[in-house]
Amino acid sequence: MLTAVPLCDGHDSAITAVNLELIRHGIEVVYLGFHRSVADIVRAAVQEDVAAVGISSYNGGHIEFFREVADGLGKAGRREIGLFGGGGGTITPADAERMHVEGTDRIFLAGASFDDMVGYVRERYERTVEKPEHLEAGAPLCLARMITCLEEGMILDAPSRGSAKVVGITGPGGAGKTTLIDELTRQYLVEHPAHRVAILSHDPSTLHQGALLGDRATMVYAQDDRVFLRSMATRGRQGGLSPATGPALAWLSSAEAGFDLVMVETVGIGQEALPFPDRMVDRRILVMNTDYGARLQLQKILMLEVADIVVANKQDRPGSDAAALEIRRHLDAIAPGKPLVRSVASRHGDAGVAELLKLL
Amino acid sequence: MKTLGDIVEAIRRFNAAVEERVAEVRSDPAKGQAVMEEWRVLRAKVPEVETPTGLRLPRLALPELDEPGAVVKFLQGEGLPGKFPYISSAYPELYLDPIEGPRTEEPTRLFAGLGLAEDTNERFHLLTKNQRSHRMSTAFDGPTLYGMDSDEPGVFGKIGEGGVAIDTVEDMEKLYAGFDLTAASTSVSMTINGPAPTILAMFVAAAKRRFGKDAAEKLRGTVQADILKEVQAQNEVLFPVEDSLRFLLDMCEHCVRKMPRWYPVSISGYHISQAGATPVQQAAFTLSNGFAYVEMLRQRGLPVDEFAPRLSFFLDCSLDVEFVALARVCRKLWAIGMRDVFGATERGQSFKLHTQTSGRSLVSAEFKNNLTRTALELLLACLNGTNSCHSNSADEPFTTPTEEYARLASHAQSILLEESGLFRHTMNLLAGSSGMTQVERAVEAAILTEFETLDRLGGVLEAMEQRYQRSAIQAAGYRYERQIADGTRPVIGVNRYWSDEPRPVPVLVRIPDERKQFQIDRLQDFKLRNAERALVALARLTRVVRDGGNVFSELIETVEYCSLGQITKALQETVGRFRPLV
Repeated sequence: MLTAVPLCDGHDSAITAVNLELIRHGIEVVYLGFHRSVADIVRAAVQEDVAAVGISSYNGGHIEFFREVADGLGKAGRREIGLFGGGGGTITPADAERMHVEGTDRIFLAGASFDDMVGYVRERYERTVEKPEHLEAGAPLCLARMITCLEEGMILDAPSRGSAKVVGITGPGGAGKTTLIDELTRQYLVEHPAHRVAILSHDPSTLHQGALLGDRATMVYAQDDRVFLRSMATRGRQGGLSPATGPALAWLSSAEAGFDLVMVETVGIGQEALPFPDRMVDRRILVMNTDYGARLQLQKILMLEVADIVVANKQDRPGSDAAALEIRRHLDAIAPGKPLVRSVASRHGDAGVAELLKLL
Repeated sequence: MKTLGDIVEAIRRFNAAVEERVAEVRSDPAKGQAVMEEWRVLRAKVPEVETPTGLRLPRLALPELDEPGAVVKFLQGEGLPGKFPYISSAYPELYLDPIEGPRTEEPTRLFAGLGLAEDTNERFHLLTKNQRSHRMSTAFDGPTLYGMDSDEPGVFGKIGEGGVAIDTVEDMEKLYAGFDLTAASTSVSMTINGPAPTILAMFVAAAKRRFGKDAAEKLRGTVQADILKEVQAQNEVLFPVEDSLRFLLDMCEHCVRKMPRWYPVSISGYHISQAGATPVQQAAFTLSNGFAYVEMLRQRGLPVDEFAPRLSFFLDCSLDVEFVALARVCRKLWAIGMRDVFGATERGQSFKLHTQTSGRSLVSAEFKNNLTRTALELLLACLNGTNSCHSNSADEPFTTPTEEYARLASHAQSILLEESGLFRHTMNLLAGSSGMTQVERAVEAAILTEFETLDRLGGVLEAMEQRYQRSAIQAAGYRYERQIADGTRPVIGVNRYWSDEPRPVPVLVRIPDERKQFQIDRLQDFKLRNAERALVALARLTRVVRDGGNVFSELIETVEYCSLGQITKALQETVGRFRPLV
C-alpha cells in the first residue's frame, strides 16, 4: 500500500495510526508523508507498484484532490490501483458519494473503526502479481512490476549490464544516509540535466511481515520524474538488504533500463560488516556520524576496511573534528589514500556532498 | 550553554530548599513565630466580598494553617497568586469581579478564518460586536499555512477552506479593515508557523500603510511561529530546521527591539497533544521547547529580561485527570527554570497561557455531548488559571462551526466565569485539595523524567533530529486510538451507550469556485503590477539571507512587492526545503 497526506495538509496523526494498524496485519506500507502533491503520489504509486493508495485529508479540497489522483493513476496506465481514504468530519457523506463516482473506491467517514478499514483493505486489495507479458526494462511500469515479481520470488533473467554506476550506501541508523542520498540526487540532477537516477531503499520487516517504508517521505528531491525510487522490505533477510536486492539491481543497471546512476541504501546496520556481496555494487560507501570516533570497535574497523569511500556526516556537530581525525588516522594505517569525505548532508548545497559526487 | 539537566537540577534544588526552610522554621521557635506573625498579617489583609445572596467571603482563599512549617510550604512551595513560583496564577487576580466599575477584558478569544480576507473581516466584526476589547484570532487556509500562493498548481480546492486565504500585503489590509490596529484595546493573534515571518511582515507592512510608519511599535498581539512543535507534531515546516529557526529568531529579535507590545512566538503544546501526546508529554515537550528558545535567544546576545516577558504559551485541555493541574505545574517549572537557570527577574518568570479545549476529544456520534465535554474542559482550564481561552464548537467534528454552536461555545465561557460564582468572588477557590496536590506531584515527577531523557539524548534539537519526540507522540497517539477501539478508554456514544440515532447531516461552508478564482485573479494582478520591483526585492532578500543579516527586517520591505509564494520559493532556493522525518 501507499499512504499519504495531500498538499498543504500536515494532519498525519490518523494516517500514522492507520499505518501501524496495517503493518500489524502484515501489510507493507510505503508512507509518503504529508504535504504531498498529486504528481508525487501518482509517481510513487507507479514506481512502488502498490495495490492501493490510501489518502488522509483534513484541510479541505478533497473532492478535487482525490479526483486528480484517480485521473493521474489512469493517465499513468495504472487504473487498477485502488484508491481509498478518509478525513474525519471534513468529508461529508455527500462528498464521499461524489468521490466514489469520480474514482475513489471507498471513503471511511468519521467514526470508522480500524477493523472496518483493515478488513476492507485486505479483502479488496489482496492480489497476486503476474509476470509482465513483455519484459521492457525501460518502461517504469514494467520495471516496477518486475521488481514486485522478484520480491515474490520469481526468477527473471536480467538483460545485459549497461553503463550505470552502482553505488551501495550503508552505515548505522541515524548517520544520515537517506538525507545524504537525497542531497546527492539533488546535486546530481542539477549537474547532469539529461541523466536518470534509480534508488533502491530498504527498511526492516516486522515480525508480522508488515513493514513501514518511510525513506521516500524524507527524500524530497528524489520525487522527480528523472528518478526511479523503490522501497523494499527486508522480508526476513539479515544484513540490511532484501532477498530480491541483487536481481533488482541487475535490472536497474541494465542497458535497457537506461539509468546513469543507481544507488542502493541498506537499513541501518550495527554489527555486521558491509552487507554488499561481491560484484553487487561498483562502489561501497560507509556513512558514519561523528560520535563513532571515540569507540572504533572491531566491527566498525571491518566496515572501514571493506568500504571504498568513508563519509563522516554531521560535521557541524561538536567533537566532529576529533572523530574525523581518528577515522583518518585509522584509514591511513590500513588503507592509505582511502577517501574520507566530511559532510553536512542536511545543508543545502553542502560542499562535502559535492566532493563525494566527484569521487563517484 | 544551559541544558535541561541544569533545569532539572534547579527544580530539585528548589524543592529541597523549601523542605529545608520548613524544617528550619519548625526547629527554631523565633523564626517560627515570625512566620506565623507574617501569616496573620497576610490573612488580615485579605478583603471581603459579598456574593449576590449576601454571603461574605474572602477575596483570596488561604488555607487554614496553624504551624509555621505548613505556612512556609504554602507561601514558598506554591506561592500566592501572582507570586513565585506562580502555581495558582500568573497574576494576583484573575477572572474576579472588579471591586469597582465594569469588567475590563474577557478571557474569550475565538478563532476564526474562512474564505477570502473580506469574508473573515466580516466574521471578526460580528465576533467583536458589543465587546469592549477587540481580540481577534486568525485561522489561515492550507496554502497560506504552507507558504504557497493561491495560483500554484494543485491548491485550487483548498483556497479559503478551513481558514482565510492570504497571498499579499493587500489581502492583509483587507483582513483587519475597520479595526484600529494601534488601539490599546485591539489585539490580533495569527496562527501561522512555517511562513510566520513573511505573514507577520505583511501584517506590519499593512499596518504601516494604514496607520503611518510608526504603527509597528503600537501593534498588540501574537504570532504562533513555534517551529519546534511544527517539526515535532504539526508538520508545517518550509525550510531546513536550522534556517527555519534562524528566520524565527530574526523575527523575535526584531520584535523585541522594535515592537514592544508584540508576542513574537507562542510556544504551543496544543498541536503536540492533538497529534497524540499524553498530557505529560505535552507539558514536557512544550516547556523544553520554550527553554530551547530562551537558550537560543540568549546565545544571540539578547538580555533575558528583554525577551522573556514577550514569550507566551498555548496548551490544550482535555478530560484526562492530569488536566486538573497540568498548567499549574507548567507555571512552577517555567518560573524556576527562568529564575534560577536563566536569571530572569519577575517580569520574565511568569508562564502566560492561552488554552483551547481539546478538538480531539470531540466526536460526531451524538455530537451534543460535545457541549458537556467542552464545558468540563473549560472548567479544568479555568481551574488552572488560563489567561485566555478558546472553547470549541460542539458541531466541529463534522462541520465548519455554525454560528449557533460558536455562540454556545463562547457563552459556555460566560456562564462559567460570569454566571456561576466559582470564579467571581474568590481567588484560589478550589486550589490546594490533597488530590490536586497528588496530581501535581505525579505530573511534576513525570515531566522531570522526560526532561532527563531529552537531556540524555543531547537536548531538544538533537532529540528532534533523532525523531524522539515524534515517535513518543505517535506511539501515545496509537495507544489512545487502540484504547478507544478496545473499549478501555470510554467515549460515550462511541464505545459505550451508543444509540441508533442517525448521524447529523453536516452542512459544510464551502467556498464557491468563483470566489477562489477571484482570489487568483487579484493575486495575478498584484504580481503583474509589481513584476519588476519584485525581482529587485527578492534579490535584496536573498542577499540578506546569504550575508547573515536580519531576514525579518528585510521581509517588511519585500512584502510590499512580492507575494507569499514568491518569497517562500526565493528562500527555498537559497537555503533549501525541509526534509520531513515522518
